[in-house]
Amino acid sequence: MKTKISISIILMAFLLITAGCEDFLQKDPQGELTQEAFPVTASDALLATNAVYSTIRNWAYHSGGYPIMDIMSDDAHKGSNPNDQLPTIGPYDKFTHTTTQDGLDRWWSSLYEGIKRANVVIEMVPSINMSTDLRNRCIAEASFLRGLYYFDLVRAFGGVPKVTITTPPTKVPRSTAGEIYDLIISDLEYAITNLPEKSAYGPDDAGRATKGAAKSLLAKVYLFRKDFINAEKYALEVIISDEYDLEPVFADANGKLGEHGVESVFEVGAMEVDGAGGNQYANTQGVRGSPNRGWGFNRPSLDLRYSFETGDPRLDATIIDLGETLDGILILGDGTTPDETLDGDQNVIEVECYNQKIWYPGNNTTTQWGHNRRLIRYADVLLMAAEALNENDDPDGALLYLNEVRRRARQGNNSILPDITETSKGPLRDIIIEERRHELALEGHRFWDLVRTDRAATVLGPLGFVTGKHELFPIPQNEIDISQGSLEQNPNW
Amino acid sequence: MKKIIFFLLLFLIWLDPLLAQVNLKGTIVDDQNLPLPGVSVRVKNTFRGTMTDTDGTYTLSALPTDTLVFSMVGMITQEIVPGNRTVINIQMETETTIMDEVVVIGYGTVRKSDLTGSVSSVKTEDLLKVTSLNPEQGLQGKVTGVQVISTSGAPGAGAAVRVRGVGTFNNSSPIFVVDGVILDDISFLNSSDIASMEVLKDASATAIYGSRGANGVIIITTKTGTMGQEKASFNVNSEFGIQHLAKKIDLLSGREFAIISNEIVAGSYNNVDLVPNTDWQDLVFTTAQIHNHQISVTGATKLTQYYVGIGAFIQDGIIDKSNYSRITLKLNNTYNLTPFLKLGNNLTIAPYTQQNAPNVTYSVYRAQPVLEPYYDDGSFAVVYNVGNPLAQLAYSNDFRKGIRGVGNIFAEASFLDSFTLRTSFGIDASYNKSTSFSPAYTVYNPDGTASQQQNILSDLYKGTSDNLNWLWENTLSYRKTFMDIHSLDLVAGYTMQESTSEYLGIPGENILRDGQDFWYISPSYIYDPANNVNTIQSISNGVDAGLYYSMISYIFRANYSLDNKYIATVTFRRDGSSKFAKENRFSNFPSFALGWNIGNEQFMKSVDAVSKLKVRASWGIIGNEKISYYDRYARVQSSIIAVLGNPDAPIPAATYGKSGNPDLKWESTTQTDIGVEVGFLANKLMGEFDFYNRVTNDILVELSTPGHLGNGQGQKVRYNAASVLNRGFEFNLNWREKRGDFTYSVGLLGSTIHNEVLEIGGTSGVDSTLIGGYLGDGRPVTLSRVGLPIGAFYGYKTDGIFQDEGELDAYPHSAQAGPGDLRFVDVTHDGILDGRDRTYIGSPIPKFIFGFNGSIEYKGIDFALDFQGQTGNKIFNGKEVVRPDPYNFEKHVFSRWTGPGTSNSEPRPSFGGYNFTPSDRFIQDGSFIRLRSVSLGYTLPARLSQKAFMQQLRVYVKGSNLFTLTRFTGYTPEIGSYDVLSNGIDYGAYPITSVYSVGVNLQF
Repeated sequence: MKTKISISIILMAFLLITAGCEDFLQKDPQGELTQEAFPVTASDALLATNAVYSTIRNWAYHSGGYPIMDIMSDDAHKGSNPNDQLPTIGPYDKFTHTTTQDGLDRWWSSLYEGIKRANVVIEMVPSINMSTDLRNRCIAEASFLRGLYYFDLVRAFGGVPKVTITTPPTKVPRSTAGEIYDLIISDLEYAITNLPEKSAYGPDDAGRATKGAAKSLLAKVYLFRKDFINAEKYALEVIISDEYDLEPVFADANGKLGEHGVESVFEVGAMEVDGAGGNQYANTQGVRGSPNRGWGFNRPSLDLRYSFETGDPRLDATIIDLGETLDGILILGDGTTPDETLDGDQNVIEVECYNQKIWYPGNNTTTQWGHNRRLIRYADVLLMAAEALNENDDPDGALLYLNEVRRRARQGNNSILPDITETSKGPLRDIIIEERRHELALEGHRFWDLVRTDRAATVLGPLGFVTGKHELFPIPQNEIDISQGSLEQNPNW
Repeated sequence: MKKIIFFLLLFLIWLDPLLAQVNLKGTIVDDQNLPLPGVSVRVKNTFRGTMTDTDGTYTLSALPTDTLVFSMVGMITQEIVPGNRTVINIQMETETTIMDEVVVIGYGTVRKSDLTGSVSSVKTEDLLKVTSLNPEQGLQGKVTGVQVISTSGAPGAGAAVRVRGVGTFNNSSPIFVVDGVILDDISFLNSSDIASMEVLKDASATAIYGSRGANGVIIITTKTGTMGQEKASFNVNSEFGIQHLAKKIDLLSGREFAIISNEIVAGSYNNVDLVPNTDWQDLVFTTAQIHNHQISVTGATKLTQYYVGIGAFIQDGIIDKSNYSRITLKLNNTYNLTPFLKLGNNLTIAPYTQQNAPNVTYSVYRAQPVLEPYYDDGSFAVVYNVGNPLAQLAYSNDFRKGIRGVGNIFAEASFLDSFTLRTSFGIDASYNKSTSFSPAYTVYNPDGTASQQQNILSDLYKGTSDNLNWLWENTLSYRKTFMDIHSLDLVAGYTMQESTSEYLGIPGENILRDGQDFWYISPSYIYDPANNVNTIQSISNGVDAGLYYSMISYIFRANYSLDNKYIATVTFRRDGSSKFAKENRFSNFPSFALGWNIGNEQFMKSVDAVSKLKVRASWGIIGNEKISYYDRYARVQSSIIAVLGNPDAPIPAATYGKSGNPDLKWESTTQTDIGVEVGFLANKLMGEFDFYNRVTNDILVELSTPGHLGNGQGQKVRYNAASVLNRGFEFNLNWREKRGDFTYSVGLLGSTIHNEVLEIGGTSGVDSTLIGGYLGDGRPVTLSRVGLPIGAFYGYKTDGIFQDEGELDAYPHSAQAGPGDLRFVDVTHDGILDGRDRTYIGSPIPKFIFGFNGSIEYKGIDFALDFQGQTGNKIFNGKEVVRPDPYNFEKHVFSRWTGPGTSNSEPRPSFGGYNFTPSDRFIQDGSFIRLRSVSLGYTLPARLSQKAFMQQLRVYVKGSNLFTLTRFTGYTPEIGSYDVLSNGIDYGAYPITSVYSVGVNLQF
C-alpha cells in the first residue's frame, strides 16, 4: 500500500513539474525589438520613414558602387589607374560585362532593400494612431522613394519581381515592365497628392521628398514611357509652381554652395564622414593621388570634352584637369596613372582628368564624402519640359525652356551659346538631347537618354553596344541561381 | 525550487528499519584451500562489513535474510543468504575471464556485453600520455571515428572535435557530459581528475541526448573514492616540459629574395650578395616551458567516498607574450546517508589567466628577409607592407582572466530493491574579463618619417562576459533480473536547463600613462573631443546569442537482455527548446537497437579460440540545435541613420532588419550502425568493427536569400535546408599479452569517412550553393555543392604554364595572363575563361584517419608510443595567396619559370596578381603520419618504494608531436577550424609545438 502511494506521489510530481513549460521556453530578443512590435507610434513612423532615405546613401545602390552608368556611355571611361578594378568595372566600359559582373547583385539587392523599407511604412503606418497629415506624408515619402527605386530597377533590368509587402514569398516571378511602371506611376501620384511643396518644409526637413520632386520624377517616368502629354503636364506643373529656379552660377547646381538651394529638386544629403552619414559616391570618383580625394573612377572622355560648343563654360565646370586649381587646391593627380593613354597607333585616347560635378571643397578623402548628389535638379526639369513640348508639337514652348538653360550656362557672356531658334521637330529633338549631354554631363543621365531615345545603337555601337541586348542589364546570375527557376534572364544574355 | 524540496521529502520515506541480528563467522580459503586474508565481507545494501584477517577468518552480525557479499580483486564475487546458518565457510575461485567492463552511458551504466550501441572508452592513462591542457587531445588516435584537430598552438587554445565526420554546416562539435552536466566545452577540466571518457557514436547511444546528440556525445566521469578503500591514497604528479617549434617553413633567404625581386622589378637590389639575411622565424619563435602539477587524495570513510584534487597547469608560448595558466580545484564526494539514500557533489573550480600574442605568425611569414629588425640605435626598423613583427609583439598587451565553476549536487534514493530515483542539479558558471592595451608608438622609416606601423593614441579595451547555465535532471531507474535470464533496465526522466549570458565591452583611447597601473577606463578615454577621442559608438553590450536559451526534455530508455545472449534497447527523448517557435518547439528522438552475444551461445562454447563474439545493430534519430537564439525572429534594425536637413544632419532611423524564419525547426540526423565485437584467445586479441551511415536532414543553414526579399546585400537567413551524408567503416584491433614479467600490447585503429552534401536550399527558394572559406582579402575558396564534401575547395584548375605567346593564343585565357603565367583550365569549354570556370579542386575532409600504438612493460620499465595520421584530405595554403603587397616567398618560388621550357609548374615570379588567383596551385596534400606521443618510464620495485613509505614511485620521460611525415609545407598539416566551411585552410595560425617532458609520479 505504502509502495502504491509512493509511486503515485512520484507520478504527481512529474505532472507538476511538466506544467508551465511554455513560459520557461519563451526567450525574447534582448535589447532589440522584433518586427511585430514596430512601428507602432508616431515617432516609430518617422523612424521607419527616415530609414527609407538611408538607402540612397548606400554605396551599392547609389551608382557609387558599380555600375556607374556614365562609364557605359560615350561620356566617360573606367578611370583610376589602368589596372585598378580592371576585371570588375572595366567590362562596363566596353560592354563586355557578363551576368556575373561585379556590382550587379549589390545594386539589385540594395534597391530591393530600399523597397522593403518603403513597404514597412506603406504597410504598417496606416494603422498607427497619429496625426493624419503626418501619417499621409510618411506614406507619401515612402511611396516616392519606392517609385524611385523601382524606376532604377525597371530601367536597368526591365520587368522585375513586384514586391509591395514587407514579407513576400521567396519565389516571385518577374512582372512585366508595364506592370512595374504602373506601380511607379500610382506611387508617384499618391506622393504628389500627399506631399508638401519644398517651401512648406522647415530647414530640418530639407531633403525630404516633395510634391515637386514627385512631379519631376513622374515627368521623367513618362518620358521613358514616351508618353509626352503626361511628361509635359508634370514638368510644366513643376515649372509654374514657382518653387524652383536655376542657380546663377552653374557650378553651384552641383556644388556645395547650392546644396538644398533653389535648383535642387531632390538631392541626397551627406555629411563629411567616411562612414555612416557620408556618401561614398563622390569618393569613388574623387581626384586620385594629389590631393587624395578618392579613387578616380568615371573619367570624362575626350569625346565628351570635344562635344562642348566652343567657349561653353560648362566644360571647365565639368572636367577637372591636371594643373587646375580648385578652391585654392592644386590638382596634381595620380603618380601611378599615366597622364595620357595611347592606342596602338600612338593616338591619345584618354587623358588623366576627373569628374568635377562631384567636387567638394577639401584636400582629403573624408570631406569628399560630404557631396550631396542632386538626383533631380531644375535644369533637368526644364529640359524634360522642352523635350516633351517639342514632341507635342509646341517648338516655341520648347525653345523657351531650352534657352533658359543656355542663358544660365553662358554666364552673361553673350558671345557664346546663342539662343536656339530651330523649330522643326527632328533637328530640335537632337539639339535638346545634345543640350542634356552638356548640361547634365557625368550626372548619370546620358546612358539612359541614349537608350530611351533609341540613339544607343548609333552612338554606343562603336563602343560595343549590341542592340537588343545592352538596353537592359542581365538579371544578376546569383539571383537566377537562387530563384530555382522562377526568374528568367533578359534576352540575349 | 519548491519542487526540489518536494523530492527530498520523497527520499526520506524509505528509511532503514532496525531488526534483530545474529552473529556470523567463518573462514575463507582460496582454490588451493589456503586461507585468504583481506577478503571483503559485507551485508549487501548496507555499510556493515569487515575483512578477513591473516587466518582468513571473519565475524559479522547480520539478519538471517540479509545477503552477504564476499569479494576480493581477482576472485569471483559470491553472494550468500545465511538463513539458519551461523558459520559460513567459503572457497573463493580465481577469476579467469576478464571482468565484464562497465561502460558509462547517458543516465546510467551498462555492462559492455549488454551494450547495443557504439561506445568507445578511454581511460585516464591514455589521456595523460600527451602533455596538453585539453583532455580531448587525449582522444586523438585513440577512438575510432574521432578526429581532434588543434586550431592553434597558442597556450590555452582549444581543439575542434569531430565524431564520425562533419554532419552539419553549423557547429559540428560533440557535446560533453561531465558527471551529468551537459557542456559545450571542457577547457576547465584537468585530465588527471578524469576517471574515464566514453565517446557515444551511434544513434542508440546518443539518442538519450536527443536534440543535442547528433554530433556525438562525450561522457566524462571524474574520479571518486571507492567504498571500502578506507586508507586514503595520495597521488602526486609533477611534470615539466620544453616546447619548441616543430618545423620551420622553408622561406627565401635574403639573397634569394633579392634575386627574385630583381626579376620582378629590374634593379631592385644592386648587389644580391650584400643584402641582409634576416630569419624572422628564428627571431620570433623561442623555446618555452610547460608545467603540470597535480596532487590528489582519494578514499572513503564508512559513509563517505571522496576525491580531492588540486592541479596547476602553466604554459608559456613559443611566441613572446603568450601564456596560459590554470588552477583546478576538484572535489567529488558521495555521502551514503542510509543504505538507500546517497547525497553527493562533483565540483570543479578553475580560475585561469591568459595572455595572447598578436598574430605575428602571418607577418613572420610575409616579412622580407632583406630587412633588418632594428636600426643601429636599437629602435625597431620598418618592415614594409607587414609591420615589424617584433614591434608588433612589443606593443601588444592582451590579457584575459576568468573563473569557471562546474559542478552538481545530487541525491539518489534506492527503494523496493530495484528502483532508483535520482535528482541532480548542476551549474556551469563562468566569468571572463579581458584587458588589452597598446601604447602610442611609431615605427619610423629610414628617412625619419613615420611608417604605417604606428598608433597615434594609446588604446585600452575592457571586456567582460558572464554565463550561467543550470541543469536540473530527475530520473527514475528500474533494474531487475527475472528468473535469472531476463534482465531489464529502465530509466525515465525529466530535465530542465537554462543558459543566460551577457557581455560588455568598452574601448578607450589616449590613456593617461602607459603603465599597467593605468589600465582602467575613465570617461575622458571614451569621449574627449579636445584630444580627438570618441569611442562611444563602439561600446557593446548584449547577450551572447549562442548562450541564451532554455530547454525541457523527457527521456526514456529500456534495455532488455535475455540470457546474456539477446539484447534490445529502445530509447526515446522528447526535447523542447526556446530557440524555436511554439509550433516547432518540441521534437521526438527515438532509437532502436538489437544485439546478439553469439559467443554466449552453446554452439560457440566449443570454439575455444573465440572468446567473445557479438553483433549489434542500431537505428535512430538525433538532433542538433546549435544556432543563435534569435534566428527565428525578424528584428528591427536601429543602427542606421538618414541624413536630412539643411545643413545636413544625421537623423535616427529604424526599420525591419533581415527577415527571420519563424518556421525553423530541429535539424535531425538519422543514423544506422552495424557493429561486430570479437575476442580471440581468451581476449588477447580484441576487435571491434562498425559500419555507419549518418544522414542529416533539415540542416539549419544560413543561406543567401533572393534580393527581392529586401534583406540587403550579403545578408543571410537561416533555413532548414540542407542534407549531408556521412558514411564510414571503423575498426579497432588490440593485442595484449603477458608472458612472465613481460607484457606488451599493440593496437591499430582506423576509420573511413565519406562526406557528401545531398541537398542545399531544397524547395525554400533560396541559395542552392554555399560559399565560405573567405581569405583575408575576402575571396572565398570553398563551395559546398550537392555531390561534394562540405566545405570543398573551389578555384581554377591549372594545367601548366604558358610557355610562349603561341601557347597563350591557343588557349582561352584571362586578359591578364602572359607567357610564364599559369594556364587555367576552361572547364566549361565555352572558349572563355571567366569565374564560371572555377571548379572543385579538393576536399578538406580526410578519407581515412588512423592510429596505431604499442606498449611494453618489463619489470619496472614501461615504454609506449602512439602514431596517428590521415590521408585523402587537401589543405589550401591560404597564407600564400593573399598578396596585395611584396612579401617574402616560400622556397618553391625559386624554381620559377624564366623562359620557354624552364618550368611547367612554377610560374614567373610576381608579387601578387594573376598567379595568386585561388587555384589548385595552392592545394597541397594534407596526408600525414605523426608520432603523437612516446613515453618511457621506470617504476621503483615495491620493496624499495615501500621503504620510503610509498606505494609507488614512477619517473618518466615523454615526448609529444616529435615528428611528422607530411608533404605539406606549413607548420602542421593538422589544420582545424570550428567553421566547417573554412576547414583545412592554412591562414597562418599559431604553430603547434613539439614537447619534451620529464615527470615523476608518487603514490602513498
